[in-house]
Amino acid sequence: MIGIALVFLGGVLTLFLGINKSESKSLWMTRLFMLASAILAGAESQGWIDFSTFFQWVPPQMLTFSPFKLSIVSILSFFGFYILSLLPSSDKKGADVLGLTAFALTGAMMMVGSQHLVMLFLGLEVLSIPLFVLAGSEKDNIYGNEAAMKYFLMGAFSTAIFLLGAAFTYGGSGTLILAEIQMKLSFSAHFGEFPVLLKAGVILMSVGLLFKVSAVPFHFWSPDVYEGSPNRVATFMAVIVKVAGFVAFSQLIQTFSPMQSWLNQWIIPLSILTILAGNIVALAQQTVKRTLAYSSISHAGYLLLFLIVPMEENMNVLGTYLLSYGLGTIILFYLMDKYSANGEKSFEMFKTIKNNKIDLAALVISTLSIAGVPSTIGFIAKYQLFSAAFSQSSMAVYFALLGSAISVAYYFKPFRYAFAEAQDSESAVNKDGQFFNQVCLISGMIFILVLGLIPTITERFF
Amino acid sequence: MEFIIIPILASLIWAFLPIKSRWIAAGLGLISLVVLLTKYNQGSFPDGLVVFDQPWLGESVRFTLVIDQITWLMLFLTQFLLPIIVLSVKNNNNKLISWAFLMQAGLNGVFMAQDGLIFYLFWELAMIPIYFITLQFSEKDNFVTTIRFFIYTFVGSLAMLASLIYLASLSGGSFAYADLLNTQLSHSQSLIIGGGLLLAFAVKIPIFPFHLWQADTYTNAPAQGSMLLSGIMLKMGLYGLIRWYMPLAAESIDFYQPIIMALAVIGIIYGGIIAIRQDDMKRITAYSSLSHVGLIAAGFFTLNSSGFNGGLLQMLVHGFNVVGMFLIIDVIQQNAKTRNLSELGGIAAKFKVFTVLFFVIVIGTAAAPLTSGFPGEFMLLNSVFKYNSVHGILSGLTIILCAVYMLRIFQKAALGSAEIEMSEISFIDYLPIIIIGFTVLFIGLFPQVILEIFPMSLEKLMLEISNAKGVLS
Repeated sequence: MIGIALVFLGGVLTLFLGINKSESKSLWMTRLFMLASAILAGAESQGWIDFSTFFQWVPPQMLTFSPFKLSIVSILSFFGFYILSLLPSSDKKGADVLGLTAFALTGAMMMVGSQHLVMLFLGLEVLSIPLFVLAGSEKDNIYGNEAAMKYFLMGAFSTAIFLLGAAFTYGGSGTLILAEIQMKLSFSAHFGEFPVLLKAGVILMSVGLLFKVSAVPFHFWSPDVYEGSPNRVATFMAVIVKVAGFVAFSQLIQTFSPMQSWLNQWIIPLSILTILAGNIVALAQQTVKRTLAYSSISHAGYLLLFLIVPMEENMNVLGTYLLSYGLGTIILFYLMDKYSANGEKSFEMFKTIKNNKIDLAALVISTLSIAGVPSTIGFIAKYQLFSAAFSQSSMAVYFALLGSAISVAYYFKPFRYAFAEAQDSESAVNKDGQFFNQVCLISGMIFILVLGLIPTITERFF
Repeated sequence: MEFIIIPILASLIWAFLPIKSRWIAAGLGLISLVVLLTKYNQGSFPDGLVVFDQPWLGESVRFTLVIDQITWLMLFLTQFLLPIIVLSVKNNNNKLISWAFLMQAGLNGVFMAQDGLIFYLFWELAMIPIYFITLQFSEKDNFVTTIRFFIYTFVGSLAMLASLIYLASLSGGSFAYADLLNTQLSHSQSLIIGGGLLLAFAVKIPIFPFHLWQADTYTNAPAQGSMLLSGIMLKMGLYGLIRWYMPLAAESIDFYQPIIMALAVIGIIYGGIIAIRQDDMKRITAYSSLSHVGLIAAGFFTLNSSGFNGGLLQMLVHGFNVVGMFLIIDVIQQNAKTRNLSELGGIAAKFKVFTVLFFVIVIGTAAAPLTSGFPGEFMLLNSVFKYNSVHGILSGLTIILCAVYMLRIFQKAALGSAEIEMSEISFIDYLPIIIIGFTVLFIGLFPQVILEIFPMSLEKLMLEISNAKGVLS
């Protein structure tokens, strides 16, 4: 709860204080609130401090933050802070962009904590609506307009489908509270038959969420939208939406756990399809941004495997995976943003990275992490996921390993230009806040390596 | 643990400090050799000495490192060759030295790991530096070669990971070597698990149809990269074969044995014949390596004591000899600017000492009696002959083939009258070759010194395999 309060407050303050000023002047304030939220929520998740007395007025059947949810809120705020720190601001835009980002983050946290279908829907909307605007925030970019339009239409449809599913679920169970739905379902499980309305409901709600997390075959919007949106917004969509989406999704599926074996029938093929399609189509991409978009689709496939494993024992695995995915993706998006500033969109942009040792190290480490090579957190996450999913469906794990093998072929493409065909050139890319960026980048690398070598830390955190 | 930490520290030093001397690099490399020789006395721990043991990931994975006599042999190979390899690095190439030390850490970890997942972790950790070495320092654009190399081995490793996860799920979640060893497998489970492990090792060794990455990678990689790959990294695959595949999936040995034996014999002859037709000295060495390690793999798969003894001896000897060959090729290439046999000749007339060393290493590789190649090769051929006389006769051809291509190298490069320009060879370039040349003669004369390092651990390992399998010839 403290996360929602702080980030929302930060958003409102930025909006009011930053009015008529450029974005970069109010950036520190939003960052500060997000960092505070990350630290406080993290501390609360570990039980070091307790804010629950301040938020007793929140009805627990609507929003509850268990320690695991609090740590997810913490990493969500951290990712928000990290994105705002690494990906640069422009003086052209106003503080409204930051306010919207903070509001979207609030929505993400609401999704994470929701215990009620209406709350889940509200979170989904609070997350999506600012993003529709942000996608088109570069008003004179025609692709940005296209992206915003596409995202809005797709998002509106998927939300409508989600709502229809929620209505069916209400029809089938007579309640919107997740815990009560689960109780109804376990009654039905005794009779061996589930109400058709509930089956239809969970399918439709899942379709709505699958749209959001861009799983195949509901992924077609995402490469286009990522490509058109400003880089920072694309990063936000790739990381925050996916983290919040999957935590909410796993909560929803956990609610329907009495019909788990029936659900697995279509989650497993969907997961395999997403992993294979994401990885194979990524091979054919020419631009870095689209490759990253397909990489995030393939990661949605791996994350879908979390829906088939029993959640209680594997919460820390989900947390580790989301952390590793977010860190790697944000750093790669940052590098893509930095080196595409001169207009080069293909992988050749990395030819000049050689001059900057820190960027080069970040490229290597984040790529290895996201490809799941040992000694990075990415490997820990993938290994834990695969061994948890193995007992449920060994077939899905074999396909996931196959997908990992394919993914190396495109993840390693930048190395060709960074090492083998590197060019010496004047360090053309110089931006303000260079020092701060480097501090963030180095701490990100340290996170990836230390958590990869000493995985006990993440185990305790989540 | 010092065998992981010292190389990583050395790697960091070379990555960040602008040191210009190769001697310091070799000195840093010698530290771990000295630690190995002084602190861990060879032969004193047949059951394995636990050097590090900490919980790592949940309850299922422990960070366990163990040194037994076989591990000691492999550690000795690594620590001995690393200083030699970094001593031969030219042009103040600090990055290459840094990567090489990082790779040393990975290799040491692979040999010491006593937990499935830790083994996998180091297995991949050893892969990353060599990938970047081949990518960064090769002679021409070879992104395709390196990515093929990486994907080949990565597919193999992922198959191994799948096998390990499967095996651990059967052993109740634990990855500890002892638990994996004690897991009873049905025949079909064993086939799947063994298949995954074998795929990883067969790609790395490489055994015949999985060798396609090898020749191009060796040829394009810088000389030191080829040395690391062929001298030490191949041994990871062979070591994995006896330490991880055979005891853990022993039920599947009966099924895979004829297949691997046939493939290995094909590889022995195939590698030898192709080597004869090559012009590039590095390619010849690559194919000769394919042929030699094929014989070692075949020896291990005969499952008799002479095969294991000869195989372990030959792992060490092959490491020394192939590094010696690449050192020779590197010196020739640095001085004559070519390594094609058709353009070389007449080295003997100008460099007497170099030619003598060249000849010693050539006959060592060709397994002439009283050189280091002979005892191991003899024991291996003996074991293969015991397994099946047809296999034995066919793989015996390797002696003839190897003599043909090795003497051809010597004849074309050292003898003859072709006029090539070669500058002086400095002492620092001579020293690694002298050391290797010395080992060729020393092991050739006293093979027993090496064979006495590992008898008790080998006996224990063979007992484990036979217990798991039921019968052992």
